[in-house]
Amino acid sequence: MSENQEVDIIDEVISQDYKYGFSTDIEMETAPMGLSEEIVRYISAKKNEPEWLLEWRLKAYRYWLTLKEPTWQNFSYPKVNYQDIIFYAAPKQKITLDSLDQVDPELLKTFEKLGISLTEQKRLTGVAVDAVFDSVSIATTFKDQLKEKGVIFCAISEAVHEHPELVKKYLGSVVPTTDNYYAALNSAVFSDGSFVYIPKGVRCPMELSTYFRINAENTGQFERTLIIADDNSYVSYLEGCTAPMRDENQLHAAVVELITHDHAEIKYSTVQNWYPGDKEGKGGIYNFVTKRGICEGVHSKISWTQVETGSAITWKYPSCILKGDHSTGEFFSVAVTNNHQLADTGTKMVHIGKHTKSRIVSKGISAGKSHNSYRGLVKVNKKAEKSRNHTQCDSMLIGDRSGAHTFPYIEVNNNTSQVEHEASTSKIGEDQLFYCNQRGIGTEEAIGLIVNGFCKEVLNQLPMEFAVEAQKLLAVSLEGSVG
Amino acid sequence: MKLEENIKTEFHQYKNQAEENAFFQMREKAFAEFDKNGFPTIKNEEWKYTNLKSIFDKNFKSTCVSSANVKNLLVDSVFNSIKANKLVFVNGSFNPELSNIIEKDNAIVISNLAKARKENTNVFDAHFGKYAKIENESLNAMNMALMSDGAFVYVPSNKKVENPIIIMNVVDSTDINVLSQPRNLIVIEKNAEACIVESYISAGTNASFINVVNEIYVDENAHLEHYKIQQQTGESYQNNYTQIFQEANTNINQVTLTLDGTMVRNNLHFYMNGKNCDTLLYGLYITEGSNHVDNHTRVDHAMPNCHSNELYKGIMKDKSTAVFNGKIMVHLDAQKTNAYQRNQNILLDPEATINTKPQLEIFADDVKCTHGATVGQLDEEPMFYLRSRGIPEDVARKMLLNAFADDIAEKIKIPELVGLLEQLIEEKL
Repeated sequence: MSENQEVDIIDEVISQDYKYGFSTDIEMETAPMGLSEEIVRYISAKKNEPEWLLEWRLKAYRYWLTLKEPTWQNFSYPKVNYQDIIFYAAPKQKITLDSLDQVDPELLKTFEKLGISLTEQKRLTGVAVDAVFDSVSIATTFKDQLKEKGVIFCAISEAVHEHPELVKKYLGSVVPTTDNYYAALNSAVFSDGSFVYIPKGVRCPMELSTYFRINAENTGQFERTLIIADDNSYVSYLEGCTAPMRDENQLHAAVVELITHDHAEIKYSTVQNWYPGDKEGKGGIYNFVTKRGICEGVHSKISWTQVETGSAITWKYPSCILKGDHSTGEFFSVAVTNNHQLADTGTKMVHIGKHTKSRIVSKGISAGKSHNSYRGLVKVNKKAEKSRNHTQCDSMLIGDRSGAHTFPYIEVNNNTSQVEHEASTSKIGEDQLFYCNQRGIGTEEAIGLIVNGFCKEVLNQLPMEFAVEAQKLLAVSLEGSVG
Repeated sequence: MKLEENIKTEFHQYKNQAEENAFFQMREKAFAEFDKNGFPTIKNEEWKYTNLKSIFDKNFKSTCVSSANVKNLLVDSVFNSIKANKLVFVNGSFNPELSNIIEKDNAIVISNLAKARKENTNVFDAHFGKYAKIENESLNAMNMALMSDGAFVYVPSNKKVENPIIIMNVVDSTDINVLSQPRNLIVIEKNAEACIVESYISAGTNASFINVVNEIYVDENAHLEHYKIQQQTGESYQNNYTQIFQEANTNINQVTLTLDGTMVRNNLHFYMNGKNCDTLLYGLYITEGSNHVDNHTRVDHAMPNCHSNELYKGIMKDKSTAVFNGKIMVHLDAQKTNAYQRNQNILLDPEATINTKPQLEIFADDVKCTHGATVGQLDEEPMFYLRSRGIPEDVARKMLLNAFADDIAEKIKIPELVGLLEQLIEEKL
């Protein structure tokens, strides 16, 4: 392969445009711009929330006021002006849906463009989709089927009214309002999100999925997801998103909380492909998310899988608190950055219970002028006897102006646990390319094979339907090099 | 903050009698930096796992008095029988009687800083204070402001120092809680070769705090062997900052052995300023009681085609804590860099702790960098192998631990010394 060819392909890869960029014109009902105690009250009133939740929000808001934006991350970004953000936007259309026919055709078209038409999904895949369009859930499918099993899958604003005891018990129990700057902000202004409760002994009959979309201009999206798996239950939850082109930066500060009881398991998969900004790094989404799960019961398990290809800045650490004895935490991640994108992602595994296990596999690919950081913590407490962790993080560099960084923190406080960490960083293998070329495989295809193979370990963790989409999204970010 | 007060008082005393010259200005600038930042706290990311608070409340004072014990201590040390050039510093002051220079070539300067400042002005001015930065490094600034004396080694082009140079730092706290601040400057010119050993031992029953700064300049094609052997006993605290500045085609082998000390913090920094540098850095730390050892290393690959290999091993006993923070920085355009880093730890007791942070920061694409860290116990397989051959468990365990540790000690290229050090390690384990 000549060097020029390679350069061409890399250029092509780097010059790929964002394919899912479009915006839908739907009449929106929005809150006044800016953030104040009135706005928090406005959001709460709009949602017709009970008094305790308003108080909870206000407490979070007041705490947020005392905080400063964190500065320890491995990147810098222009300061977010919270007075320029609309904290609440809902499609004006009145929503009482029994079937999809009542949905605004504009909306349906948007979903079709994204290739996730609700009808298609419903008919072909058997996936129940709770589509979040901006901040209000507009359609929930397969509800009856889930109801039969006793599974609760609804918008969190609905759950507040219908299952207040559950929401009150678990909301903020994993990510408290005082956790960090963005979690406090989210707690104060969260607009909507998903709520899942799997009762004892139930294996959720289908994969639950929510598609997020940020649509209205100037709307920060503050999602709040709460998933509870009771004893001996299992659920697989998918979260995926694409967002239309915007010029100014949009802030997304979601909070996800997972709770597993004895012998329960939650599998949480994410495909994220928000608008990454243009080639000069202008625009794009700030994705500052707090995701954390707690393995409350014995032999419980939480597994995070993420494919991060979008956003101007991705800054998140899906974490597991392994509290129950013999509990397991897993984290599988692929993060692809291109042009001026920045990603600072990783996980925290906190071993508290005895015989707890965790596994981390992180793959970073940086191209163009982007920077990709892995930052992770493995903490083994004194009482977490015989705990085990294995961490592997590999980075691949494409282009000489990209960067890959690794910041692992390992803290071990007892002598019966074993912790292993390994990391490597390298360029796309010239030997491998040569090997493929020699056997008649074109360079483009070869790069595809290599990158695909590099991420396989993680992509294999995704549920079938998502694996396809994940590959598509990798292709958008690195087309020409991913088959 | 008793220590901070003492530092300020001492600096003002010094200021009143100091001459107004360039050297004084450097000290004054450093003091201003120290005054501005104060001591680092655990809120500082670089000091996250090492809390210096217990040091700062103690009444440490500088002194140049030394007791008669020091001589006996040197006789007992592992270095006594080694044929070498010896420079002895007691509480940071040069002791000519105990020192012994056997090198015959007069062009090679093995001396102390205070003397070199007057006699080797050109070399001193060109290199002193140029490598160890004081900005946001309060302890470096504190050393610069009040440093007493230290070793000065100058090896001119094409020369080879035949015998090792041992810089023996003795902290003698017989009378008071002593603060010692030596500073060493080592300049190895083109095609030259040297082997330098830093040793740290202590006498006396009061507390001691030694705050050392080493600046080492290695010019093109030169070769340096650099060893650091830390064996301070009693209530002893050490902060050791070493900045090694490498030009093209240099070759460095560095070994750090931390065998004792209440609190030891090592900052070991390499900066590769030319192509084709080869740097090997090894470390071994054995901690016991409630001791705390913190090794911070940083390798800056600023130029292409350089190679670095790092291996640090630790054995933690009792309630002791060890910290490892290794950082590899590959700068923009430092293509064809190969950098490896490994940190292996064995925790022997339930209350021992290890915090390890192996970091990579890479800004070039054509590189091969890996790092790994492990925390665990002795391997079961070799244990089984030995036991199946009739070796009792405790003997087998000792053999394996010794093998684990000696791996590092053997990187020292003074055969007589390796044997003695291995004995010491065996006793410790």
